[in-house]
Amino acid sequence: MAEIVCQNIKKNYGAVEVVPDFSLHVEDHEFIVFLGPSGCGKSTMLRMLAGLEEITGGQLMIGGKVVNDLEPRDRGIAMVFQNYALYPHMTIRDNIAFGLRRIKVPEHEIKSRTEDVTSVLGLGPYLDRKPTELSGGQQQRVAIARAMIKTPDVFLFDEPLSNLDAKLRATMREEIARLHKKLRTTTVYVTHDQMEAMTLADRIVLMKDGQIEQVGSPEEIYERPVSRFVASFIGTPAMNFIELKVEQSGTEWFVVGEGVKLTFDSSRFDVSVGQQVTLGVRPSDFEAVSEVTDRTLAGECDLIEYHGDQALVSFRVGSVHLHALVAARQRPSEDEHVLFQIRQNTSHLFDATTGRSLLKQ
Amino acid sequence: MITRFLGKSLLVFCAACVLVPLLWTLMNAFKVNADLLTPVPQFFFDPTFENITYVLSRQSVFGALYNSLIICLSAVGLGLVLGLPAAYAIARNPNRITQEIQFFVLSLRFLPPVAVAIPFMVIWLNLGMYDTRWSMIITYSLITISITIWLSIPGFQQVPKEIEEAARVDGYGPYAVFAKVALPVAMKSLLGALAFSFVLVWNEFMLALMLTTSDAKTLPIVASEMSQQGLNVPWGILNAAVVLLSIPPLLLLGLLSSFLNRSFAQKNR
Ligand SMILES: Nc1ncnc2c1ncn2[C@@H]1O[C@H](COP(=O)(O)OP(=O)(O)OP(=O)(O)O)[C@@H](O)[C@H]1O
Ligand SMILES: [Mg+2]
Repeated sequence: MAEIVCQNIKKNYGAVEVVPDFSLHVEDHEFIVFLGPSGCGKSTMLRMLAGLEEITGGQLMIGGKVVNDLEPRDRGIAMVFQNYALYPHMTIRDNIAFGLRRIKVPEHEIKSRTEDVTSVLGLGPYLDRKPTELSGGQQQRVAIARAMIKTPDVFLFDEPLSNLDAKLRATMREEIARLHKKLRTTTVYVTHDQMEAMTLADRIVLMKDGQIEQVGSPEEIYERPVSRFVASFIGTPAMNFIELKVEQSGTEWFVVGEGVKLTFDSSRFDVSVGQQVTLGVRPSDFEAVSEVTDRTLAGECDLIEYHGDQALVSFRVGSVHLHALVAARQRPSEDEHVLFQIRQNTSHLFDATTGRSLLKQ
Repeated sequence: MITRFLGKSLLVFCAACVLVPLLWTLMNAFKVNADLLTPVPQFFFDPTFENITYVLSRQSVFGALYNSLIICLSAVGLGLVLGLPAAYAIARNPNRITQEIQFFVLSLRFLPPVAVAIPFMVIWLNLGMYDTRWSMIITYSLITISITIWLSIPGFQQVPKEIEEAARVDGYGPYAVFAKVALPVAMKSLLGALAFSFVLVWNEFMLALMLTTSDAKTLPIVASEMSQQGLNVPWGILNAAVVLLSIPPLLLLGLLSSFLNRSFAQKNR
């Protein structure tokens, strides 16, 4: 068990700066997820933790020990790779035991430990096969078993589920969650799938261009995104954004734009009159109403996506397209005039130029 | 249907083009000269073992066979021992210098053999090692090393980097990663390099001709000498010698291909 401390970690590839400055404190037992769009440096960061990539600057500590220049084997880590990286010339049994063989663990102990690990992961029947004779999900479980058997201080996962189909991914996600509950090993998990991040993480580290955009529990990230980038990245269907301007009349505050005038609770936000802002509303925070109030948006419905229990209604207000998630039974028909009200205290305001959230702390 | 038939016929035709001369040689090795020299090809004849016996009974043939085996196997062995790590290093560190090395290694083969042979002759004569097996092994090693390097680089490049990284995370150092992971995973493509470098030195003629006179003579030299016995070319004997010359490479290829089949069969099960 170990905590990980990253202090001002930097990574350059030649002249290209991939990670400019990364600081993070991962607690013992914590399940941390690095989330972010493709190319934002998640894998690079993880590989620096693993010791597979040189650290250009800063300090990395695992379990209270500076490990900047240590080999992977001296860091107490185990890693699961995106494409499993099983040794194709070995049987599953040997794949799993390969790491133990190096440190000369006695053969009977290897056997019992292999049995323990494989029974947890349901790999018993496949031990004498070669990796190519296994399905993707089974191979992934072997990769996890290979990491588990070393009883590492830290688990590192690099998009372990991205090569699996949706259903298997959900199952494996559950297995990983269950495993972490049982072993409580400090884990860093890289993904670009927000569903995985939301369900697995104790804390999500949302990254953009090698920098941390926000760190927080899934709930914090979803409820209080610090920037428009975070808000648009988290949540499906994606949040709606409308460019508006702040106005005040008497004690009432409004955001005003083309065909839109909405009141908002000014005590929640740090805004000033005349400020250009972006209003963010999640599709699920719209509710269909029949009367126009000062919190309603009116528009023409132009497309309906049927999801089963819910339907995503696309409607146009002025020149912007918005989406609302409604119960499928109450969905309007296409080309109908629709009226949606924003649920109280669910809207977000972002500064139009910086993209930072204007929500009061 | 028709295209399939055409395709198959084409394949059969190509195979025949390759195989018929070989079979013909094999047949001729068992014919007496009278059968060989008729204008009408003889498909049915009384097989004779005279030619084979003649070839095998000659002391020089045995000596040469022994020389060839020792020299070629050692050279191939040295080629693997020195060439494989070099190829791995080049494959894993692609930069300008390694690119130059990769090209330079092969450039030895661009020279006409004579241009290589003459300096070697001088070197071995001065060192007092002319016409020894050692000198031949070292000379041939230069060929096998360059071929091994050149042909193994793609094999090592195909080994996924993640597998090696996984081995590093599993605690293995660079040499162990090479020996326990990269080498076995790349094995299939490396066998081609092995076979090719063996065949190349086994059939080598020019260097052997210039660097040996009696003690270290290899089989191709001795086989060629048989054609120079008088005016009557002893076709039967010549064919028998060719057959003998072809057996070791064929055996090697057979072994390798059965190995290949085995590993592929495992993969497709
Ligand atoms: N060896 C390298 N040389 C130069 N640039 C590199 C190298 N490896 C990665 N990069 C760059 O570093 C950035 C981050 O790469 P990284 O693989 O960490 O992204 P990622 O967040 O894991 O993306 P993905 O979700 O697609 O896996 C990318 O812009 C990439 O082009
Ligand atoms: Mg990645």
